[in-house]
Amino acid sequence: MSKDAVLRPSARLGSVVAILVLALGATSACTKKSDDASSGSKTLTPAQVKLALVPGGAHPYFQPWKAAGDKAKTDFGLGDVTFNETSGWDQTKQNDVLTSLAAQGYNAFGIFGVAPENINNTFDNLKQKGFVVGSLASCPAGDTDKADFCLSTDVQQAAYKAAKAAIEAMGGQGNLVHLTGNKVDSNTQRRIAGVQKAVDEAGGKVKVIDTITDIDTDLQTAQKAVADLLAAKGTQINGIVNTAYNPAVASAAGVKQAGLPIKVIAIDDDPTIIAGVKDGSVAATVLQNPVGQAYVGGYALMKLAGGCTMKTPGVVVDSGSFVVTKANVDSYDTDRQAKTDSLKSDFDAQYLTCK
Amino acid sequence: MTALLETPPEAPAARARSLPLWANPRLGLLVLLVVLVVLFTALRPSFLDVDFTLVPMQADISVYVVVGLAQLAVLSLGHMNMAVGRMAAMSAFAMGLAYQELGTPLVVDVLIGLAVGAGLGALAGLVISRTGVNSFVVTLALDFALVGLVSLLYAKATDGVSFGAQPGGMAALRTDTFADYCAGNVCGPPVPLIVPIAVVAALLVGLLFRWSRTGREILMTGASVKAAELSGIPVGRRVVQAHALSGLLSGLAGFLLAVNNGAFSAGIGDAFLLPSFLAPVLGGTLLVGGAVSVLGTFLGATITQVIYKGLNLLQFQVDQLKLYIGLVLIVALSLDRVRHVLAERRGARA
Repeated sequence: MSKDAVLRPSARLGSVVAILVLALGATSACTKKSDDASSGSKTLTPAQVKLALVPGGAHPYFQPWKAAGDKAKTDFGLGDVTFNETSGWDQTKQNDVLTSLAAQGYNAFGIFGVAPENINNTFDNLKQKGFVVGSLASCPAGDTDKADFCLSTDVQQAAYKAAKAAIEAMGGQGNLVHLTGNKVDSNTQRRIAGVQKAVDEAGGKVKVIDTITDIDTDLQTAQKAVADLLAAKGTQINGIVNTAYNPAVASAAGVKQAGLPIKVIAIDDDPTIIAGVKDGSVAATVLQNPVGQAYVGGYALMKLAGGCTMKTPGVVVDSGSFVVTKANVDSYDTDRQAKTDSLKSDFDAQYLTCK
Repeated sequence: MTALLETPPEAPAARARSLPLWANPRLGLLVLLVVLVVLFTALRPSFLDVDFTLVPMQADISVYVVVGLAQLAVLSLGHMNMAVGRMAAMSAFAMGLAYQELGTPLVVDVLIGLAVGAGLGALAGLVISRTGVNSFVVTLALDFALVGLVSLLYAKATDGVSFGAQPGGMAALRTDTFADYCAGNVCGPPVPLIVPIAVVAALLVGLLFRWSRTGREILMTGASVKAAELSGIPVGRRVVQAHALSGLLSGLAGFLLAVNNGAFSAGIGDAFLLPSFLAPVLGGTLLVGGAVSVLGTFLGATITQVIYKGLNLLQFQVDQLKLYIGLVLIVALSLDRVRHVLAERRGARA
C-alpha cells in the first residue's frame, strides 16, 4: 500500500528529531542569562536613522503617510524611510513585517497596530532590541503604552467637534443619529461619549434617537444600514453624525439621493465627501491629521534615536482634528499644516528632553 | 494487534526498490526548501539574521506546523475541518478565562483549553458519524456558530476582545530562546522556547499514525470505510477520535499563536484555514484520506513561511506579495506533481 511508503520516512526522521528534542531538554535545566542586550542603546545621527512607517493594512487613510515620510526624509536628512502596508490587518503578519524590516536595518518604527489589545507586546519586543517606537494614529488599548509615545487623533474630542457641528447645522435642536464602527473597540465607546457630551451641552433640545455601530466593515454594509435607517425614520431625523469612514460615505450619498433635509456630518477627506461639502449635501466633515502623524512622528523618532528621551514615556499626544464646512473647504489644509508645525515644536518644548 | 495491521517487512522494501530515491515527495520539498533558502540568502543576506529572521520564523513555523497537523488529523479520514480557526479561538478563550477566574498556573490553563478544543472536535466528529452529513458542511456550520459565540463570550468575560492578564511564563515563552539559558559558558541554540512544544506534538501525531492501532485504524477508515467496517474496525469511534485530535491540535495551535502575539484574544485563528490545508497538502497528505505525512506537513509549513519571509525581506508591496506567494506555490506544487507522475511511470515500468 502506498500508505507505508508515505509513512516510513517520516517515522525514521521522527526518531532523529526525538533525539534532538532530548538534547534540547537537557540544555534547558540551567541558569538564565541576564538581560544585558538592551542596555547598550547607542545614539544615531539622522543619517543613520532608517524609519519604517507601518500601518495595519492597506486603507485610504494611510496613503498620505507615503508623501509625509518622504518629506520627513528630505527635511530631517534621514538615512531612509519606507512605507509598508502589507500587514493585511493581521497582527501576526504585522509582527512578521516588523521583524523583516528590523532585519533590513530599519531602526525607528512608526506603527499603527492591528490589534490594540496585543500591540504593547509588539512594542515591547522592538524596544527590547533597542529600537525607537511611536504608536501612530491609534493608541494601545488600556492605560499603558509601551511605545515611546502615541501620536493619534483624540477620537472623543473629534466626535465631540463633529456632534457640535451637527447641532449647529440643525439650528440647535432636533433628533440626531450617530453612525460608527466596531462596538467592542474602546475607541468607539469614546466616540459615543464625545457625541453624548455635545448633546448634553445642548440642554435637552437635541436627542440622540439612534446610535448604529458595527457598520464600518465595508461600504455595502454601511449603505444597507443607511437605507434601512432612512426608510424607517428618515422624516424624524434632523442630523446624522458619522465617526467612521464607510458610514460617512454611505450617508452622504444616501441622504442626497433620498432628498431629505438631513444635515450630514462626515469624517475624513475622501473626494466624494469634499465634493459633498462643496455642493452642500454634506454640512461639514471632521478631518484628522495623517500627514502630521507621519511627519512629526518621524521627527520625534529621529530625535529619540539621537539620544533624546521622552519626559513621560508612553505619553499620548493629540494630532488634531478639524471641522471643514463650505466656508473653509478651500483653505483647511493651511490649518492642518499649522497644527503640524505646532505639534513639532510641542515635541521639542514639552515632550522631549534632549542633552 | 492483528496481522493485518502490522506492516509486512518485505512490502515497503519492494516498493522502495521500484521507486527511485528522488521520487520521495519529501525529498523534493527538502530540495525546494534548500533552494529557496539559498536564493533568499543570496538576494538578502539578512535572511540569515538570527534575531530578526531565524528566531521569529521558527516561532511562526511552530504555529503553522501544528495548524497543519490539526487539519491532517481529519484529512487522514478524507474529512475536512473548516472550524480549525474557531476551535483555536475557543480553546484560547478557555485558557484565558481559566487564568482570569481561577488563577491557575499556565500548564493547567493550557490543559483546560486543550480539553475544550478536543471536546469541540469530538462534537463535530459525533455529529458527522451519527448523521452521516459531510464533514465539510458540519464543520462549516460549527465554524459559523463559533464565530458568533467567540465574540459574545469575549464581550461578556473581558472589556474588549482580549484578556488583560496573562499567566506567568507566557512572556518568557514569547521572548526567550534557549540561547538565554546557559550552563556555565555553554548556552543553548537560538531556538524559541515554543519550538519543542510543536516538535513534540508532531512526533506524537507521527507515532500515532505510524505505530498505534488507533492511528492505523483511522487511516484504514480513510482509505475505505466499507473495508474498515468489514474488518471489524469501530468506524464511528475512529471518526470521533480523529476529529477530537483535530480539535485538540487546533487548541494547541491557538495557544502557540497566543504566546507569539502575547495575549489570548478573539482574533486568534482568523487566519488559520488556508494554511491548515496548505501545509499538509504541499507535504503530500491526500485530500481523499488514507495517507498522511507529518514530515511533509512540517516541510510544507516551513516552505510557506520561508517564501513569506523572503518576499517580506525583499519588500514586496501588498498586491505583489499575494501574487508571488500564489505563483511560487503553484509552481512548487506543479513541479512536485510532475516529479510524482514521472516517478509513477518509472515505477510502473520497473
